[in-house]
Amino acid sequence: MPVVEARNITKTYTIANREIRVLDDVSLSVAEGEFLVVEGSSGSGKTTLLSLLSGLDKPSSGRVLLEEMDITEASEDDLAPLRNETIGFVFQSFHLVPSLTALENVMFPAEIRRDPQAHDKAAELLKRVGLQKRSDNYPHQLSGGEMQRVAMCRAVINNPKIIFADEPTGNLDSENGKAVLDLLLEFKKEHQTTLVLVTHSIDIARIADRMIILKDGRIS
Amino acid sequence: MKNGILHPRFIVRQIVRSRRQAIVFVLCVALSIVTLISLNGFSASVNASLLNDAKTLHAADIIIQSYYEISPGTVNTVRQFEDQNEIIGHRVWEFYSVVRNRKGRDSLLAKLKIVQPGYPFYGQVVLKSGRKFAGVLTPGSIIVAQRLLDRLNLKVGDPLHVGSTTLTIKDVVLQEPDQPVNIFLLGPRIFIAAADIDRLDLVKKGSRVRHFYLIKVLQEDKIRSIADRLRDVSDAEQERVDTYRTARSRIKRFFDNLFFDLSLISIFTLLLAGIGIQSALTAFLKEKEKTIAIMKTVGAKSHFITRQYIFILSILGLAGTIIGLLAGLLLQSGLDVLFRGFLPENIALIISWRAVLEGLCLGVLVVGLFSFIPLHRLKDIKPVIIFRKERIRSQARLPIYLSGFLILAFFVLLVFWQVNELKTALYFILGVILLIVITAVSTGAVLLILKRSRVRSLLIRQAIKGLFRPKNATRPIIITLTASFAVIFAIYLIEQNLDASFIQSYPGDAPNVFFLDIQPSQLEKFSDVLGLPAQYYPIIRAKIMSINGQKINRQQERRRRGDNLARTFNLTYRNHLLEDEVIVKGGRLYQKSWGDRQVSVMDTVADSNQMKIGDSITFKVQGVPLQARISSIRSRTRESIRPFFYFVFPDNTLRDAPQTIFTAVRIAKPQISALQTKIVENFPNISVIDTTELLMIFTGVVKKLSLIIRFFAAFSIVAGILIILSSILATRYARIQEAVYYKILGARNNFVVKVFTLENLVLGLVSTGQALLISQAASWLICIKVMNISYQPFIIDSILLLGVTLLLVVTVGLLPSISILRKKPVVFLREHTQE
Repeated sequence: MPVVEARNITKTYTIANREIRVLDDVSLSVAEGEFLVVEGSSGSGKTTLLSLLSGLDKPSSGRVLLEEMDITEASEDDLAPLRNETIGFVFQSFHLVPSLTALENVMFPAEIRRDPQAHDKAAELLKRVGLQKRSDNYPHQLSGGEMQRVAMCRAVINNPKIIFADEPTGNLDSENGKAVLDLLLEFKKEHQTTLVLVTHSIDIARIADRMIILKDGRIS
Repeated sequence: MKNGILHPRFIVRQIVRSRRQAIVFVLCVALSIVTLISLNGFSASVNASLLNDAKTLHAADIIIQSYYEISPGTVNTVRQFEDQNEIIGHRVWEFYSVVRNRKGRDSLLAKLKIVQPGYPFYGQVVLKSGRKFAGVLTPGSIIVAQRLLDRLNLKVGDPLHVGSTTLTIKDVVLQEPDQPVNIFLLGPRIFIAAADIDRLDLVKKGSRVRHFYLIKVLQEDKIRSIADRLRDVSDAEQERVDTYRTARSRIKRFFDNLFFDLSLISIFTLLLAGIGIQSALTAFLKEKEKTIAIMKTVGAKSHFITRQYIFILSILGLAGTIIGLLAGLLLQSGLDVLFRGFLPENIALIISWRAVLEGLCLGVLVVGLFSFIPLHRLKDIKPVIIFRKERIRSQARLPIYLSGFLILAFFVLLVFWQVNELKTALYFILGVILLIVITAVSTGAVLLILKRSRVRSLLIRQAIKGLFRPKNATRPIIITLTASFAVIFAIYLIEQNLDASFIQSYPGDAPNVFFLDIQPSQLEKFSDVLGLPAQYYPIIRAKIMSINGQKINRQQERRRRGDNLARTFNLTYRNHLLEDEVIVKGGRLYQKSWGDRQVSVMDTVADSNQMKIGDSITFKVQGVPLQARISSIRSRTRESIRPFFYFVFPDNTLRDAPQTIFTAVRIAKPQISALQTKIVENFPNISVIDTTELLMIFTGVVKKLSLIIRFFAAFSIVAGILIILSSILATRYARIQEAVYYKILGARNNFVVKVFTLENLVLGLVSTGQALLISQAASWLICIKVMNISYQPFIIDSILLLGVTLLLVVTVGLLPSISILRKKPVVFLREHTQE
């Protein structure tokens, strides 16, 4: 059973009266526990595809199903529980809440879910990624690698079924990039999580279960 | 763009790109000057009108007034001038008396004005019938105010009992030149012809009659010399001689005092708006940090960049000043509505170019002073911030201290310029500094506690976190709102306490009817007619001539705000303390070995005039000097509507002096009217004052004044609101970022709304809570120590005030956040993802 499925999705943007088709009739499905890599050159539509699959954006046409539920027309509030419990996000730019400490950032999704063990789980996760001493630091006091590890902990704290990772190593040096990817795969293996990862890296693509390449908005 | 050359397009773009912050900055500049401009312009209009119409407002060229019979020397000199055809003189007598209707059933306290034919020299008494005043006011006739007809159910043509005679109502007065405003009158006006003065039998020795001699000088250029001559011959202790130019009418004195208070509030608003200017400008320049860093990267020098922004600020400052000027003029034109009732009908509002020029200068100074620190910090921006997001910290402390000192100096000079009175100015400056320091310290403490608090609730925790968001102007917002709310709350609480002390909770045992001007010969019969046990107080009218041999400077005294030693005092004599009096200095009322020439003084007058035990005061009683040493200083244990006297003498000293008697009793409300009528029937010269009536007038005036003061004080809240807006605009990006991240992590819209609402609620609660505590403390201090009245905290009212202001803060904080809440996560992510 596919965890996430796209059916003939198209996405167009209008910029300065000019219509740009970023995705053109794309269909794909991702099975449970699968590690899918989306590859493509800059501007090929990778991030747009990820946004549509995760419900962050809506397609201009076509449908998106998440765990067999059609999320194409779902409202922000309908999507909220899915984002909280079913999906985990890891972004290239980390997107940590600046006013929260590392620990608070990790705790946040669990607190939204009213998990009484939010604090302990977050502390445990930070310990696991070697950041227990940085738990009271704010994002601006952390390095890029540390911020991405915090973002990863935040993505997995609610044991999501699927993690969408948009160039998670893009802003990191090779050493930190490898460490982050190893951690991500470790979590995936441990919880049988589905992983959809957008990357430029061929090395990462090689270790994926499946890879799709986007070119000019189409799967090539 | 070449170094040193201002590029218009760059400047326009800088303003347009940060237009919201620019608008807030412009509004803060406008706000800083709007109330001062409107007030100064309005004050100039009132003064010009009063000066232009000064002859009308005094109805004469020279005015001689006294609470005693005009002295023979003065009268003779007036007659000499009349004989030389240099002047025409008219006598006028003015006093309160109770009048009765035809059947003698109803009576009313009225203000009588007895005039000789030819009154007024200038202006005119407007009658309802449209007839000429002089033709209507003939012997046996009276002209009355409509209020009197309404209250006594009378009509024109009916008789009215006044004093010992009956006169016929001939017309209704609509307007009189030398009494342009009626709000302060305790009773409706009655005009009586001077020919009837003896028939009234009301003007007696010791009665509280104001005697006037109105003089018209036939040659304008002789006014001053004739006035000087009259001043030379007059009894300086009892009589005042003024020309229409030097006499401060009551209305002028009232406005001088009111404008004085309002200008203090306007300076307070200016100061808070200054904080707003600094806050808005800091936010405006924060948005430019990256642009400035890039300019520096490509070789622009700090002073070049600073020059560009000085130019931008000059444009914005000028716009703010012009808007402030226009708004000030607009507000000025609307002020006559706010002041209605206090203003004479014929006030013509003018544009005071002096006020406009002052406004322009103030605007430039305010922008310059409050912009200095944010502009100075531009040089601390390093090109490296293009790559790193780090806080810019200023290294140079001296310019910041210097700027602080200049702002303080400007504030001090502004206060002295507006107030023109050293002592009050110092009190005000210290008060404002104290208020801001207390607010700043308590705000710092509260914010520290909030920052360190470990809150379990996610919502509250996120809301508190929001207060410490980088670029959030939380501290200036709280300080400004706390200070402005504290002032408004305090005004409200003091008004409520005045109301409660004197009106609402009128003590059950306190006298509610006062009887004035009882002649000693009437005392026995009066006591029988009254038929109630009462305490009688002899009253001897006197003036103070000197203290410790030092003559009272009457001109200087009259310029004092509040009470002064130039006025006539009511002395009394008794050998005991009243129920509500205690001795605070001297141990006993009179010193045993000092004989009869000693006086006990009330603490209020002793304190304000630095009088101490053993000091010698010389009074003038009916022309006879009386020297006495201060034997004791008394204080009242509670402020209430009970008779009290500043100066009390031993029995022997004043028993034989010319005197009237005064008493006050408590009577059930429904019986007051009948008793008033009975007393007036038997004793036409006795004035009966029903305090219920008096308090209604007092309440009306206090409420109106409080409204005017609160109206002006409300402008200071606008400063707080503008800082909130500026802060929200400055943190717009951070707020959107938070909202988007919350949503991505699974929070519903509802959660984000709650967090933002709670954040504003905490902000409002800290501000209004602190304001309430400060205002409670300040009002308590003022009521207990200054006004000497009991204090009530008005908990329910306070909670309501808190609720309303809280709602205001939350609404103002939340409204600009609506667009933030609507922002879609993907749009933000697309805009801010580095590819």
